[in-house]
Amino acid sequence: MSGGREIILPNGTPRPDPGVPAGDRRSRVLGGGGRSTWIAVLSTVIFFAIVGFLIVSSSGWPEVRRSFFDAEEFAYAFPEILAKFWRNVFIFSVAEILVLLFALLIAVLRSLPGPVFTPLRIMAAAYTDLFRGVPTILVIAMLGYGMPALQLRGLPDSDLFWAIVALTLVYSAYVAEVYRAGIESIHPSQIAAARSLGLSRGQALRHVVIPQAVRRVIPPLLNDFIGLQKDSALIAFLGYTEALLRAQIIQAQDFNFTPYVALAVIYVAITIPQARFVDWLIAKERRRREGSAQL
Amino acid sequence: MRKWFLALAAMTLLAAACAEEETPRGEGPDPSLDQTAADCTAEQSSSLFAADTLTIATGNPSYKPWYGGESEPGSEWKSGDFTGDPHSGEGYESAFAYALAEEMGFSEDQVTWVAVTFNKSFAPGPKDFDLAMQQISISPKREEAVDFSVGYFDVNQALIANEGSPAIGATTLAELKDLKLGAPLGTTSLQAIEELVQPTQEAGAYPDLDLALKDLKNGQLDGVVVDFPTAFYGYADVVVGQFPDVGGDQEQFGLAFESDNPLVGCANLAIEAMREDGRLDELKNEWLEVDTSVPTFS
Amino acid sequence: MTEAIRIEGLRKSFGDLEVLRGIDLTVDDHEVVCLIGASGSGKSTLLRCIDLLEPVDAGRIWIEGDEVTGAGVDENAVRRRIGIVFQAFNLFPHMTVMRNVTLAQEKALDRDPTDARAKALELLTRFGLLEKADDYPDRLSGGQQQRVAIARALALDPDVMLLDEVTSALDPVLVAEVLDAIRELAAAGMTMVIATHEMGFARDVANRVAFLEEGTLLEVGPPAQIFSQPREEATRRFLDRIIAAGRM
Repeated sequence: MSGGREIILPNGTPRPDPGVPAGDRRSRVLGGGGRSTWIAVLSTVIFFAIVGFLIVSSSGWPEVRRSFFDAEEFAYAFPEILAKFWRNVFIFSVAEILVLLFALLIAVLRSLPGPVFTPLRIMAAAYTDLFRGVPTILVIAMLGYGMPALQLRGLPDSDLFWAIVALTLVYSAYVAEVYRAGIESIHPSQIAAARSLGLSRGQALRHVVIPQAVRRVIPPLLNDFIGLQKDSALIAFLGYTEALLRAQIIQAQDFNFTPYVALAVIYVAITIPQARFVDWLIAKERRRREGSAQL
Repeated sequence: MRKWFLALAAMTLLAAACAEEETPRGEGPDPSLDQTAADCTAEQSSSLFAADTLTIATGNPSYKPWYGGESEPGSEWKSGDFTGDPHSGEGYESAFAYALAEEMGFSEDQVTWVAVTFNKSFAPGPKDFDLAMQQISISPKREEAVDFSVGYFDVNQALIANEGSPAIGATTLAELKDLKLGAPLGTTSLQAIEELVQPTQEAGAYPDLDLALKDLKNGQLDGVVVDFPTAFYGYADVVVGQFPDVGGDQEQFGLAFESDNPLVGCANLAIEAMREDGRLDELKNEWLEVDTSVPTFS
Repeated sequence: MTEAIRIEGLRKSFGDLEVLRGIDLTVDDHEVVCLIGASGSGKSTLLRCIDLLEPVDAGRIWIEGDEVTGAGVDENAVRRRIGIVFQAFNLFPHMTVMRNVTLAQEKALDRDPTDARAKALELLTRFGLLEKADDYPDRLSGGQQQRVAIARALALDPDVMLLDEVTSALDPVLVAEVLDAIRELAAAGMTMVIATHEMGFARDVANRVAFLEEGTLLEVGPPAQIFSQPREEATRRFLDRIIAAGRM
């Protein structure tokens, strides 16, 4: 079972635990233990075998295979693309750190109470509206081509700089909303308890609300981070060669799409561990979450 | 443990199915050398995408000096200072296209143009056109995906730059090494930079020519590499020089057909005929202004 | 003897609903006053007003002789002098018991972490919770969590403790341990205002009992008098209902 508290009903029997923690997800996906697992595995295998067979025996398959799954092309493209992929890693790592911080600031500004803070709240709301509204590629294009065109002294010229700025601006808008949802989900009694102990509003936010809020929104935070990892490729629009552009260059040169498959493999390879890591974080936090203030 | 064996077995089965023999490539029927292009086309008319029509694909926008003229009303192509309309018959490729069509037995209004992205011209699967004409360079690797006609234009690469660029005055490849250069994606121009110059700063690869030119204007690029005729069209202030052949062979533009399309043979007859009687050179002289005195980088 | 709390003419409304209609009350140092009354009578609101968790609409409050309802009062400073414990314990679930008790000491009182820890250990021992110090709240029973909440409030060395029906949410078997903890506090001389339904407890521990009905303090007096010979009709009716419900 789950390992949580057991609740004894009045008639003396233990109440079954309704939730299955994330750690048990594998067996839940496969439909429970024992015989049903066998059936699940068998039906999955048969299903994919049939789908695979249908694809492979279609008339266009040889051509598609040559075009997308060419082994020689893969061997050539994969190392080249992987080498460039470290640039994407740099871009989205730096951007993510900035996003996590900047978005928190926006979310906090948005939730400041009282009439004196109204202009800040409005600016924060306008910010999130604007940058969730404008397509990311536009922001990158406008900053990446527009800023250097202004020829202002002191403004950096580098594609890398403006792409990271653009990604940070856009993703902070989304993540700010995620934080805000987390903050608002904290029961007001927690704030009341903090204030009653003489903590200021800021201290309550910093020590009580935000730590709990952030733990709650880890899955959507990861979602947005994964989106950011994909969007790091948009810097290609500025002519900066990262992994996707490298794939495009090889593809255009050789008239073959296999480089894209190589890139996809890389992306999936990094996404899966992140998802499992977050699952583990959630399972760990689940014990913390069932805390005291639930009345 | 056992369920993983089962899964593994299934995977192996799938892989085995995938590892089938490649279907042998068929060659298109060899047209007899005495046949005209028009006769050949008539013979192979069942291979046409649309009956009695030559459907040609090219990019949108289509740049001068390859495509010129004014936009026809209702045309997808918008003409401007640097772009033209394939329907106009003006510009090297547009003019060449109509001459080719005529040689293959089509009248002017039997030519249809479709706009495709560069990728579409070689993507797998049946095409929505008979041939793609978009300053596509012939290469062996590309031949695996499409069938090329014989070359219809010999092309060289040149470097253009604006006033004040450190590229101006360079005569050797070594002088270009430390500069920031760029070229549009999918062009041999990019290859020229990577293989001939081998710059210390990575070349910028742009989705389209005008984005490369934008960065040139911003000062983010010191120079842009484009094909020779494009270089002289005036996209930038100065043509700095031309490059030697990439890979040692003369680069040529070819028409891209779907693999195993028998019409390739017919197009080849047409092109050879035009080459022999000088029409290709005429077109070149009419539409492309080039100054061959520009130095070649050594 | 000084007045720990003095309330004059306190009024509080929530929108159209007037919850406190003019409360006058004084509590002396070391005195324990129990608030009784039906739900919705305003007991919680009164306590929250005293702790400045709710702004008052009219009236004045003094804590240890200092007026706290005036303009320019540092609310955080006032709240450090008053400890309040709620029905729903409200421990911080993402911190250990020990951290729950030391956090406000360090941040609100600027106490040295070593001192804060020492104080926490002292209080947890006093309430029999020492072995739980490094556990997270979800590992504790309701009664244990409530005692931690009390310790957490006491750690700030408040002048006054306000307890808002702190046992009402607990399993009956766990109520006793909390009441014992409060009894001990009273015996040690802490000034307290306790809102409660536990009449037996009130009779034992209170110096005075105050009956609140629909926002007014109908009757205030020593427990013996209130419980055996209430003066007001309403008080009597209330007590009858309590007895009928078997809670006295």
